[in-house]
Amino acid sequence: MPLHDVGYRPWQGRRSGSLAAIFVIATTGLTLAWTSRWLRRAVFFAWSPALVFAGSFFVFEQAIDEGRLDSIRESARLGRNVDGVGILGRVIAGSLGPVDDPADRHLGPEERANKARRMVWARLMLAFMRSPQAILLAIVVGLVAPTLVSRDLRVKAWLIYFTRPVGKFEYIAGKLLILGLLVASITMLPALSLWVAGVAVSPSLWVAVTTWDLPLRIIVASLALAIPTVLMALAYSSVTAESRIASFAWFATWAACWIAHTSLSTADMARLVSDDSVASQPSVPGQFSVEEGAVPTSRANVRRRAPAEDLGETIVDFIQGLEGRGPGDGRRPNAQRARWFSRVTGVDATIDRWAWLSPYHALGVIQAWVFGIEHRWEAILPPLLSLGSVSVVSAVVLWWRVDAPARA
Amino acid sequence: MSPSGPVVGSGVDFSGPGHSARMIGSPPLEAPVQATGVVKRYGQRTVLDRVSLSVKPGITGLVGPNGAGKSTLVKAILGLVRLAEGSVRVFGIDPRREPRAVRRFVGVVPEDECAVPGLSGVEMVRYAARLSGIPGIESLRRAHEVLDWCNAGQERYRPVETLSVGMRQKISFAAAIVHDPRLVILDEPTNGLDPIERRAMLGRLTTLAREHGKTILISTHVLPDVQAICDSVIVLAAGRVRLTGSIRALTHPPTPQERLEVAGPVDELVRRLVARGIPARRAHSADFFPTAAGSAGRFCAAVGTMAAEDGAQEGVVLLQLSTPDALAGMWAEVGHLGIRVRSLTAACRPFEEVFLEALQAPPLESLHAAP
Repeated sequence: MPLHDVGYRPWQGRRSGSLAAIFVIATTGLTLAWTSRWLRRAVFFAWSPALVFAGSFFVFEQAIDEGRLDSIRESARLGRNVDGVGILGRVIAGSLGPVDDPADRHLGPEERANKARRMVWARLMLAFMRSPQAILLAIVVGLVAPTLVSRDLRVKAWLIYFTRPVGKFEYIAGKLLILGLLVASITMLPALSLWVAGVAVSPSLWVAVTTWDLPLRIIVASLALAIPTVLMALAYSSVTAESRIASFAWFATWAACWIAHTSLSTADMARLVSDDSVASQPSVPGQFSVEEGAVPTSRANVRRRAPAEDLGETIVDFIQGLEGRGPGDGRRPNAQRARWFSRVTGVDATIDRWAWLSPYHALGVIQAWVFGIEHRWEAILPPLLSLGSVSVVSAVVLWWRVDAPARA
Repeated sequence: MSPSGPVVGSGVDFSGPGHSARMIGSPPLEAPVQATGVVKRYGQRTVLDRVSLSVKPGITGLVGPNGAGKSTLVKAILGLVRLAEGSVRVFGIDPRREPRAVRRFVGVVPEDECAVPGLSGVEMVRYAARLSGIPGIESLRRAHEVLDWCNAGQERYRPVETLSVGMRQKISFAAAIVHDPRLVILDEPTNGLDPIERRAMLGRLTTLAREHGKTILISTHVLPDVQAICDSVIVLAAGRVRLTGSIRALTHPPTPQERLEVAGPVDELVRRLVARGIPARRAHSADFFPTAAGSAGRFCAAVGTMAAEDGAQEGVVLLQLSTPDALAGMWAEVGHLGIRVRSLTAACRPFEEVFLEALQAPPLESLHAAP
């Protein structure tokens, strides 16, 4: 008999409510997931882009502090590397418009700096959330999510939950919380840290007040990023007992949708390039354009055009860039790089009409909306409906599947 | 809660209009589990067909061939399946409407090994405790306490996927009782256990039932286990209840009968007993007779005819000693023939025999349908 065996004793303590099970499932799931070396590496790596962006915040705030904003903007407009941080210059050039913007003439230096700060910070945050973090999110979720439900189905661990006071809601919420916390750790937390870093390196802590809405936007953008992706990943996990299949389906979805998006965009490009009437148009309104210094997010500055027409012009510009011919005086930065970056930062004003097809691109549009950079419903609605549909269908599948073995 | 309809029997009773024909047992008790006219279908297949039963405090065996509907009945008790007809009440609560409330009172040891890979044994039990509402540190203390009682030793610190089948069974059992449930449901609880652990497991179940007032429902194919520890039994076949009643009542022969194990001229003894008017017969070789005092029963087919160590013939005689004269007459004949008596015990029918008979019998509902 074990030394401490006191025999069976009744237990009459106070029990916690059913909702506590969500926390229990989440913490245990996270603990188990964290034992994966690859996950730890991925999460660690996911914070590294924040360092680069923190550098951009620092340079920008230094420029403001030294009153060099206009010179930076002018440098960026001319396509020069700004203080060694090329990202920042292009963001500023795309964000702030011309140096002698008539709209800014009545503003004082402090107000101009605040306006510049809000715009540049929002675009940097969008670039951060959309480009490195969204891709890393797909990887991190792909490492963890496929096993969360499928393994329970395979080893019949669902019996552990559904023979106890745990309902489907608590089970699903617990699993979602595992992924939600992971997603938050690689999107929301680094972005909030960036904001804190920005405030810390700014001339005054009052900057926190002038940019108070950014943390809220970061949280909403993270939720927008997390909800559809996490639901979709768990739905995949719930339809099979083989986590390998769920994992394959997850990555295949991202890759296939990306390829489909690219293919359709390229098809449009080919069609429009062959159109002489379009190709002959020299101007590129609304496109990332240092020559024009447009502020594309402003409705006033974007000529109302058909999406295909905008895209056509983008492509023409793209090709001209590849050929080394800018539409203006040839001082344009590399068009391919510019186009990618302009889209990531929301400077590109063309409507990506196939964005709804690819989770990555659809999430990008929604995040641009959340950060106040995209306002056009014709651009927002298709991705919004697409992601909404994916979320609803995933939630229904998940709800139906998690206790399917119990009903069988 | 009082079950609807007549309730008869010490442990498990079929209740419903006119279903007392095969009720054997003691006075009614409150039933922790009450099922009434339960029908469950999977597509066109009816898995439970008008099942009505009640499970009383104590240990109840739920036996039946594969596909009898035992697992589905357990799922119905837990509120995991939607019933086509009928109702189930667990401590007066409808598990379909309030599954969480029911599962607070219930602990389940599933037949299938189910564990969360990556957790150690004690973490697994603690996880179960926390899911059942036992708060943080207390859940750890309670997990260790229950594992100590289950004699889990240091193995509890190993990942569950690396444990032996028997150890996993212990972990599973500990996880089922860690929150001190009033009703414990076990599906094949002695699977994979060695004889010592099997005996220990049965002992733990007996302790829970006898000393702590738990209601225990065991779904098993191991009939000796049922006979060893169960107070009552439900025989389920093809989705219907074939037999219910207390084990004691079911396994005792219809008339009082004794079992005499002897060494000597057995056939001559039987002839003389019959001549004295004492009903007696030699046990058939196919018979087996678990002794009334035995814990798990044992096969005694060999005792029909075998040679003892000194060369004398050994055998078992079934006889009826209804009067003191008959008892005196038996001893007189034994003495006269110089027979050595190994044992004289009350005979009982093996539960396997009862079970097989029950499978051949029509469902209980059919008895009432007949005029």
